Amino acid sequence: MKRSLLKLAIVAIAVAPVWAAEDFKLPVSLEKLAERATETVDVTLDQSTLALASGFLSKNDPDEAEVKKLIGKLKGVYVRSFEFDKEGQYSKSDVDAVRTQLKGPNWSRIVGVKSIKGENSEIYILKNGDQIGGLVVLDAEPKELTIVHIDGNISPDDLGRLSGHMGIPELGKAKKNKSDKTPQAKPDKDEEQSEKES
Amino acid sequence: MTPFEEELRQALKRREPAADFTARVMARAAAEDAKRNSGFWFSWRLGLATAAVAVLTLSGGVAYKQHERSLKGMAAKRQLLIAMRITGTKLQLVQERVKESEQEAQ
Repeated sequence: MKRSLLKLAIVAIAVAPVWAAEDFKLPVSLEKLAERATETVDVTLDQSTLALASGFLSKNDPDEAEVKKLIGKLKGVYVRSFEFDKEGQYSKSDVDAVRTQLKGPNWSRIVGVKSIKGENSEIYILKNGDQIGGLVVLDAEPKELTIVHIDGNISPDDLGRLSGHMGIPELGKAKKNKSDKTPQAKPDKDEEQSEKES
Repeated sequence: MTPFEEELRQALKRREPAADFTARVMARAAAEDAKRNSGFWFSWRLGLATAAVAVLTLSGGVAYKQHERSLKGMAAKRQLLIAMRITGTKLQLVQERVKESEQEAQ
């Protein structure tokens, strides 16, 4: 009995970091940025709130109808967006607090683009077997920081269906970009640069 | 006949009631009836009023809950649409930057 409990404890300890790594939470430290921001968007929608919102989405409105289909499989939608009137209002550690959580084995950075203007955009997906179990969009610009976390099963087809609605692009083109490897070739370079910066 | 017997005979002697006796009895009976009916109506009306207040309170509570739920739902919908627009805009932006990056590489 004691041995089986010990085995269970060992398995739990071994598996816990993996679970923790996949459990993405928007860092609490981001909240303080709202004080310095000229414009803040703070959206927190858990599964029950999404279900409530779904009941108020119109089937007759094409945009809302597509969103209604999409959110059925989602567990949560979280957005933090801050706009500042001058540069340097958020630190690298604020962004790193997000990136650190996305280093788990099931998280993959599928796109990473860094411009000379200091604009840094990244898209991470959580692999859940053949499906995508979550999506994080991180956009860090000199005067703007946006983090979007979509928790739950979301396939490129789901996002593709939103094409032409809500301003969401066609993912077919994005897939092509991904297969060209150009966006993925960038990350290593970016990481090297950011390491040099730090 | 002794004086006692005489007194007894006088006391038990049949006397005719007053002329308005029947009218007075009927009036009193009607008054008692009306009093009894008025009590019945009062309690019936009180019961009805209590039930009406209870129904109104209950339906008011249900309506308030529905209104509250509707407000929360509309707020959640607004937030969701904002979130989707931001997500869409950012994905669009990333796509454009990837394209630019590809063009620069070419």
